[in-house]
Amino acid sequence: MGRYLLRRLGFAVLLVVVASSASLLLTQLAPGDITSEQALALDPAARARLRAELGLDRPLAAQYLSWLGGVARLDFGRSLLYSRPVNSLLGERALNTAVLAVAALIVATAIGLPFGVYSGSRSRGLGRSVVRGLSIVALSVPPLIGSLALVFLAARTGWLPVGGMTSAAGMDASWARWLGDLARHMPIPVLALALPLAATLERLQSQAIEKAVREPFVAASRARGLGHAQAIIRHAWPVSLRSVLGLYGVMIGSLFSGSFVVEVVTSWPGLGRLMYDALKARDLYLVAGCAASGAFFLAAGTWIADALLALADPRVRSQEAP
Amino acid sequence: MTRRAATFVLLLAALSLAAPLLAPYDAGLGFRDFLHAPPMRPHLQGFGAPVVHPIVLADRLEQRFESDPTRTLPLPWFGGSTDQPVFLLGADNFGRDVLSRLLYGARTSVGLALLATVGAVLIGALAGAWAGLRGGWVDDVVMRVADFVLILPVIYVVLVLRSVLPLVLPASTVFLLVTWIFVAVGWPFVAKGVRAIVAAERDREYVQAARSLGAGPGRILIHHLIPACSGHLVVQATLLLPGFILGEATLSFVGLGFPDPVASWGTMLAEAGNYNAVARFPWTLTPAVAIFAIVLATNLIASTHQDRS
Amino acid sequence: MGWRWWSGQQQPADSGTEIVFSDVSTRGGVLTSSLRSEPRTFNRWVNRDFATDLISQLTQSKLVRVNRATQDVEPALAETWTVSPDNRTFTLTLREAAWSDGTPFTSADVLFSFQAIYDPKANSVLASSLLVGGRPLAVTAPDTRTVVITYPGAFGPGIAMLDNLTLAPKHKLEAALAAGTFPQAWGVATPLTELVSLGPFVLTRYEPGQRVIFDRNPRYWKKDAAGGALPYLDQLVLEVVPDQNAELVRLQSGQIDMLQQQVRPEDIATLRPLVDQGKLQLLELGVSTDPDLFFFNLRPAKWASDPRGSWMSRKEFRQAISHGVDREAFANTVFLGAGVPIWGPVTPGNQKWFSPNLTRYGFSLDKAKALLAGLGLANRDADEWLEDEQGTEARFTLLTYRGNSSLERGSAVLREYLRPLGIAVDVVAIEQGALIERMLKGDFDAIAFFFSSSNLDPAMSADFWLSSGSGHIWNIGQATPATAWEKQIDDLMHQMMASVDHAERKRLFDQVQNIFAENLPALYFVAPRMYISASARVGSISPTILRPQVLWAADTITVRTPASTGQGGR
Repeated sequence: MGRYLLRRLGFAVLLVVVASSASLLLTQLAPGDITSEQALALDPAARARLRAELGLDRPLAAQYLSWLGGVARLDFGRSLLYSRPVNSLLGERALNTAVLAVAALIVATAIGLPFGVYSGSRSRGLGRSVVRGLSIVALSVPPLIGSLALVFLAARTGWLPVGGMTSAAGMDASWARWLGDLARHMPIPVLALALPLAATLERLQSQAIEKAVREPFVAASRARGLGHAQAIIRHAWPVSLRSVLGLYGVMIGSLFSGSFVVEVVTSWPGLGRLMYDALKARDLYLVAGCAASGAFFLAAGTWIADALLALADPRVRSQEAP
Repeated sequence: MTRRAATFVLLLAALSLAAPLLAPYDAGLGFRDFLHAPPMRPHLQGFGAPVVHPIVLADRLEQRFESDPTRTLPLPWFGGSTDQPVFLLGADNFGRDVLSRLLYGARTSVGLALLATVGAVLIGALAGAWAGLRGGWVDDVVMRVADFVLILPVIYVVLVLRSVLPLVLPASTVFLLVTWIFVAVGWPFVAKGVRAIVAAERDREYVQAARSLGAGPGRILIHHLIPACSGHLVVQATLLLPGFILGEATLSFVGLGFPDPVASWGTMLAEAGNYNAVARFPWTLTPAVAIFAIVLATNLIASTHQDRS
Repeated sequence: MGWRWWSGQQQPADSGTEIVFSDVSTRGGVLTSSLRSEPRTFNRWVNRDFATDLISQLTQSKLVRVNRATQDVEPALAETWTVSPDNRTFTLTLREAAWSDGTPFTSADVLFSFQAIYDPKANSVLASSLLVGGRPLAVTAPDTRTVVITYPGAFGPGIAMLDNLTLAPKHKLEAALAAGTFPQAWGVATPLTELVSLGPFVLTRYEPGQRVIFDRNPRYWKKDAAGGALPYLDQLVLEVVPDQNAELVRLQSGQIDMLQQQVRPEDIATLRPLVDQGKLQLLELGVSTDPDLFFFNLRPAKWASDPRGSWMSRKEFRQAISHGVDREAFANTVFLGAGVPIWGPVTPGNQKWFSPNLTRYGFSLDKAKALLAGLGLANRDADEWLEDEQGTEARFTLLTYRGNSSLERGSAVLREYLRPLGIAVDVVAIEQGALIERMLKGDFDAIAFFFSSSNLDPAMSADFWLSSGSGHIWNIGQATPATAWEKQIDDLMHQMMASVDHAERKRLFDQVQNIFAENLPALYFVAPRMYISASARVGSISPTILRPQVLWAADTITVRTPASTGQGGR
């Protein structure tokens, strides 16, 4: 077990390093650099000087090695765009996005899985069709329009604030008030992220349950006298979780990249938006830092999902660890 | 139900292939005085072919139109001229006929998404199944490669790719490039799910039986394990399909989009992205309805196919 | 003097624009505006993007200010000044004023500001806008309230140039300049107590990614006509809203009081119902002074090896394109009719410098075809496009970027108009950074672009007009002018910049505009009308064409009820 954990950890670290290195390299290769935007107002000498100051005129290998050296000390360098250490920028924003992502994941799971079990365990019926139809609607609507629709709804009804993470007065207030304020700001972006995810989960769970229900041991449990619902929940469902949980890590990763649209529309100060701004401005170190955060969360998500799977499905536990 | 769904899909395929014949106007033809014109409802007048009332621009800035009940125009397939356009599904923000763009766009968007989905599912299934069957370091490597692909920001890759390609890309090149990019981005999702299933299935009796009969890993994969995942693969396909149709619009933001007159549903929806505009001109969301219909139909066909297996 | 009327009544400008000015002068209250991009730093000396500039305008004052609405120079921190007979030396008497932390504002601060801006290690972006003929100004401070500024040569805009000078507090930034860390000073992580103000507001809270909050500066030097303290507002909040559609939704729901910038023509219809209900005000500002442009690559190196060089680098080609476009229809499609045809970079919105009598190549397909035929282009094969004598197709690539709807639409419309002429245009939308790189390298045929200027006096945008300039986009930074007409413009511009007589300068500049209109390095079709919208509770605004349209005069804005609105309350 210990060796397995170590190996997973090692791979995770490797993933973080490779992903951020690749992002750094790609940003270098992309046309333009951080000075491009201002270049129209600077004469070539001034631009060259600026580039030299930022260390952009060194050969590629030298830049990469010095960055790598910093990463070994967990220092991701200095953002060219914001002139701040990347670590502090990441810290703030990654936390904000994590809050959103975790909440969205919980909401999506709470909606998607039960509905999936419901629609998959029935072979026909209105309920099943309705659930399936709603899921497909959620999958067909572009994230931009969905987010905007929710923002519009919030504006129309006035129940919830239309964007942002906290109110202007938020910072002075006590912890409890601040949490309450945060809680009021979360529903719109969380729903915008969670609904398509819930639809995905519902579809996956639905199919998985449909298949699991036909397994012989489920019939056996019914023969032993278990009710239909009980049989499904105690026997069919844990088995069906395999293909669903296998994708949880992936979904956490995609939450981070997909959160960009939601964060822009609802002004949520998160990682997605930061990464996009960094890309546009060609801020090498910030881009690499954001990619590293994303890799970290993906690795963490996959690890948690695998742990949950081992818990849920006895068959997995008995095998050599995946 | 399935038969209806299947017929629908076939009909759609036929329609989209016949788009050049069926579409009333060119996909890129914009009528300058009809920006965001509303749909014109056909009426039956006497015993003749259905007709519509022409609309007239009432306020250009507000994009308001009024229907002229005194005159009628024939439907575009039964005559009619280009200075009096007939919009059965309204017009977009360039004054282009939504119905025509929907038909032309079907070929582009659905074709692309379908190809990419098939590719992603095939590659993902093979990779995931092999990883699940072999376990050990093969499993690790494949899964880590999948992780890497997932975490790498595709946008950067496309940006760099775009800068090394020639500036002017014909639509066919864009089609192929986008398809391959989607395959590359999509296979990890499929692989992960398949691997999870196969990892459990590999110790089941039928697999062991096959092995004891001398079946090699390839045969076990293709004849037993992948079919065991067929249900999951189908669901994955129905998840990837709309994602790819919509994803094409995102790529156009970094320069890998179809050149202008070529219509695609993703771009049509991206142009409709201004929510206030959608509230005033809801017909610009027609591609979303079309996407919904296709995914639903595919789902229906798939689920009944599954019931039989 | 100029500044008094801002707080009193005012006569409407004679261009026909509506300038709303209520007689409400209630004190207090909170104004919430949107901000679409975050500040990357609070250091205005090294950064010029919109958020940084806006924050600087809200928190700092200048020696003299160019009134955005009238284009007149007004005294600000310089109470009075005298000009030497040769128009090169200005002696300014500074007002009694103090920074927000109580430190007195003196001529030492002015000296220090210039020192920092001209210091090469500071990498200031303001340096190039405070040079005359490429040379810096000479500044001395005989006493704490007097500053003497000597220009290296006579300069047309005169003291108005000092509107580009953002004053720096010596007591806060002197150490950074000495240590060579000036560019990193006043970054977004700086403790806010370090950011002292001379202007109407003080930056009191910054929540990254969410909002910037300003409180009134009790030490602000300016008073209104009745001698009362300014600003009227207690607090000003800039909410960060990156998405334009979400911004509009917030305005509609009353969560913000005004938009950062102008309303798009397509959004006017959405706001009209609220205007009718009296919840919002919608104001027309006039014709924009920053129109979209379509320019061609005129670098000789580009065309030397390109087979299309024989005709595509000729001015007749561009004149033919100008003949081919129906500008009214262009305005109808791209701006929904809310635009006026233009023929050069200076639009009717720039009242002091606009010339109505430029050479125009108006809509005429016959003239266009004649010009193209004159270049040797004819349809020599079965397709619809023209070819030259060697058989090269008349086809070029027009680059633009996604996200700017008027540029995208304009490019598509241009392509449509050139089709009947037989010219094929491939519109390619690439990413913005990639576009700028190509522009700088000269690796393009034609580009559809948009500039934003802050000063209407052409002498202040010399980089665009002079062939040696970094903003001379069709052929950037030439060592010597590549063409005779560019040399003519260079000479005229130098004369125009050195003269101090406005009539003379206008005459010279009219000639420049005419040469430009004839050679058409860049094509201009339509300038949009600009509209802004604000909540009905906002009063005493003095909106102008130049951005920031309303917040440039934030000190005199009032709000009707001092109560909180949604998130902005206290």
